[in-house]
Amino acid sequence: MDYLNLGLYIHIPFCYSKCPYCGFYSLANTDNIEKGNYVDAIKREAGIYSKEYPEILIESIYVGGGTPTTLNGHIISEIIQTCYQNFRIKKKIEITIESNPATFDNKKAEEIIGAGVNRLSIGAQSFDNRLLKKIGRIHDKQEIIKSYSIARSTGFRNINIDLMFGIPDQKIKQFKKTLEEVVKLHPEHISLYGLTIEEGTLFQKFASEGMLSIPSDDTAYNMYQEAIRFLSYWGYEQYEISNFCLPGKRCLHNQIYWKNRQYLGIGASSTSYIKKNRFKNISDLQQYINLLKNNILPIESKEILPEEEEMSETIILYLRMMEGIDKKDFLARFGTSLETAFGKQLKILKKQGLLQENESHYFLTRKGIVLSNQVFLEFLN
Amino acid sequence: MPNIEDIRNFSIIAHIDHGKSTIADRILELTETISERERRDQILDDMDLEREKGITIKSKAVRLLYKSDNGHHYIFNLIDTPGHVDFSYEVSRSLAACEGALLVIDAAQGVQAQTIANVEMALNNNLNIMLLINKIDLPTANPDRIIEEIKKIKGLENSPIFLTSAKDGTGIKEVLEAIVKYIPHPRGSKDKPLQALIFDSVYNSYQGSIVYLRIVNGTVKPGMKIQTMSNKRTYEVTEAGIFSPKRKKVDQLSVGDVGYLTAGFKDVSLTKVGDTITDANNPSEERLPGYKKVSPVVFCSMYPVENEDYQNLKYALEKLSLNDSSISYMAENSPALGFGFRCGFLGLLHMEIIQERLEREYQIQLIATTPSVVYRVHLKNKQVIEINNPSSLPEPNTIDFIEEPFIELTIVLPSQFLGGIMELVQDRRGVFKNLEYLDQDRARLVYNLPLNEIMFDFYDRVKSISKGYASMDYRIVDYQASPLTKVDLLVNQDIVDNLSFICHKDKAYERARKLVENLKNVIPRQMFDVPIQARINQKIIARSTVKALKKDVLAKCYGGDITRKRKLLEKQKAGKKRMKKVGRVEIPQEAFMSVLKI
Repeated sequence: MDYLNLGLYIHIPFCYSKCPYCGFYSLANTDNIEKGNYVDAIKREAGIYSKEYPEILIESIYVGGGTPTTLNGHIISEIIQTCYQNFRIKKKIEITIESNPATFDNKKAEEIIGAGVNRLSIGAQSFDNRLLKKIGRIHDKQEIIKSYSIARSTGFRNINIDLMFGIPDQKIKQFKKTLEEVVKLHPEHISLYGLTIEEGTLFQKFASEGMLSIPSDDTAYNMYQEAIRFLSYWGYEQYEISNFCLPGKRCLHNQIYWKNRQYLGIGASSTSYIKKNRFKNISDLQQYINLLKNNILPIESKEILPEEEEMSETIILYLRMMEGIDKKDFLARFGTSLETAFGKQLKILKKQGLLQENESHYFLTRKGIVLSNQVFLEFLN
Repeated sequence: MPNIEDIRNFSIIAHIDHGKSTIADRILELTETISERERRDQILDDMDLEREKGITIKSKAVRLLYKSDNGHHYIFNLIDTPGHVDFSYEVSRSLAACEGALLVIDAAQGVQAQTIANVEMALNNNLNIMLLINKIDLPTANPDRIIEEIKKIKGLENSPIFLTSAKDGTGIKEVLEAIVKYIPHPRGSKDKPLQALIFDSVYNSYQGSIVYLRIVNGTVKPGMKIQTMSNKRTYEVTEAGIFSPKRKKVDQLSVGDVGYLTAGFKDVSLTKVGDTITDANNPSEERLPGYKKVSPVVFCSMYPVENEDYQNLKYALEKLSLNDSSISYMAENSPALGFGFRCGFLGLLHMEIIQERLEREYQIQLIATTPSVVYRVHLKNKQVIEINNPSSLPEPNTIDFIEEPFIELTIVLPSQFLGGIMELVQDRRGVFKNLEYLDQDRARLVYNLPLNEIMFDFYDRVKSISKGYASMDYRIVDYQASPLTKVDLLVNQDIVDNLSFICHKDKAYERARKLVENLKNVIPRQMFDVPIQARINQKIIARSTVKALKKDVLAKCYGGDITRKRKLLEKQKAGKKRMKKVGRVEIPQEAFMSVLKI
């Protein structure tokens, strides 16, 4: 049988409180009964897909949110077990869970590890208490360090720390301090995101009212350059626009996205990409639960990607990775070479100094990394 | 057929928003011309834009049957006139078709700049003026003050005054009765050769140009051979009729009548407002007075945002000019904006209306460049040329001097704002002519100044300085020599011809500096530094730089984001596509309008 290789994403839409910049679907103040119903719905959804695609082979699991660690340890364990009950799972698989430092203790850490989770992603965002407050985080610097050490002592060997730059009122000095603090902990992986004002968030409202003093593009640029320089000095390789890691510690799950490969998303608001179909679940907890109670897939929208679009997305996503896009892979996937599909664009971008090529790959130059949108625009149909 | 003694031809004239169209509505109701069921507010303004802007763009006419208190029936021909200075020639011709005018004045706002302009025009046409102080139902109405103001206006001393509220109908009946007594019936003779005054025409795809006219002498009927006297062309009348208010065929139109005729006129340029129609077989010896050819005063270039819309734009302009012979347009080509048209208009409002109609009725997205007046350039070789586009100004060393159109500007305003307004007008090269007080706290100010100076953010400034209380009106008086110079704009070393402008030498530096700053703010950062320079002849007089784009990157992109991120990129790309590429630089449309804001 030909396997259908997939990454599996599970969305947990619960938080203790909603951060004002966050555009993901999540709810604060949900009670345990609802959480229980939700986990039941997740199980049903996994069950439906396992019947629809019996050939699924899961290559990685990522439990994200929201804040998955708002759930009790044994419930998280149940969720992982559901995956094993429903799908064929690769051996030595990467299983990641996202956590908030304020929702993490010894007991939970042990239960999670016991469930088979082997990669922990800590949403630190900053090590500056004043800024943490400003962006509505419920934890402080001490809690980040504490949850990190709990994770280590419980046995996590693969930890990611999420950081943000370009936070309102953030100064480059504060940001450097945060970078210093994070390398002191020596995590295997660091994700570094420039703050973006997402539609429908409180921050968007504040920004439109002129209430946020967001650092200028030039400042944000300097922060980003500083991070690249500093992290590389400490042995972190930048392997994607926003991601850094120690050798051999790239996130397998996220690479599935950047290689435009297939994935199944389970849970409210999650997205799947299977057999050229991209479909998205509804972002409404009650409806999600109710539909699955009736064994109906809670799909809200679906698009079938024409080959042209798939090609353009493939090159755009691949180029997010520093090693770029493999010429042979592209040819093998589409039966046409990159040069045939995008010859004109590649030429222009090379001339502009945004793109470079070697024998096997096309990849972004240093300038191309910070101006990546300008590169991607060229590849849109 | 009506008796000439029973006909009354009149117009309603007013400053904008003083209630002209509402008065017309009430009159229509009281004369039972239309039923309640047909009623729609402001029946005479039938174009959407007219309703929205609250102004009348085309003239209209309607025939009403009025039963007087004396039991006798009269025929009223009401001619509604365009309500804006840009169309003042059309207004003057509509008034020439009448014997009387109802001058409407808002009981709260009082006499305004256009009120005075209207009075002058009505008096020039020897009309009997009836004064309607309207909106007396308003709590702020002050009819006594208005009467004081009116008494100060020359020529109105003996005009009868009526207090009305078009809103609730107060006083309208009295006005109708007074029309019978106060406005004289038409004079002229049925037996003289035909003389008919064209006061407007509209285009209809089946009948060609439909001519609105007033019979001054003689009669006209279908089958008759007629001639337009300006160009001596001959046509055969296919239809004659009246407005009731819809077009209604009649057997003939006779002396004193207001009506329409069709005669296979291909388009409205053949039936120019002010022209005289006569009997081709028995022509009148003379034309009716007052005919003149109207020429465009304001020019701008219009380019389609999407190049493929060029043909549509051409088609739309052809269509619009079928019905509006005052629009002129000529194909032009700009390195920055591609293919488009240089278009001429009667004024700024006319320009704005046409732009809006192109965008709205024809769905063409436009880039319209800064408007320009028509300059008269006297060359050293004694030749005189007229240019309406700064980029076509000849080399400076060949120019002897340049003349520009001057206007007489009238502003009526509360006297507390006099200081501010005078400062503004003087800054715009205004030369003081006259100041008179309408009453204790309102004044009428007259200045001469270049037309060019009111094209840039002038009316808005007048409104803001006077907190909205000032009104203005102007007419072109003559051409005068001015020390003018052309300023070119260079973006990344390339001249952007559509951004060049002509202005007074003393103002060139300041305007150039502001424009360069504006451009710096509207041109997005590119992948390289973009210098923006302003230049007179070969000398750079202002400079600024759009710094190179440093960062344009999407932070996160995972499974759930891909569709959304692609949409963001698509939006960014669409924005880029709408920009025009000059050399290597992408310039958004706002840049071309930013010249206006200096």
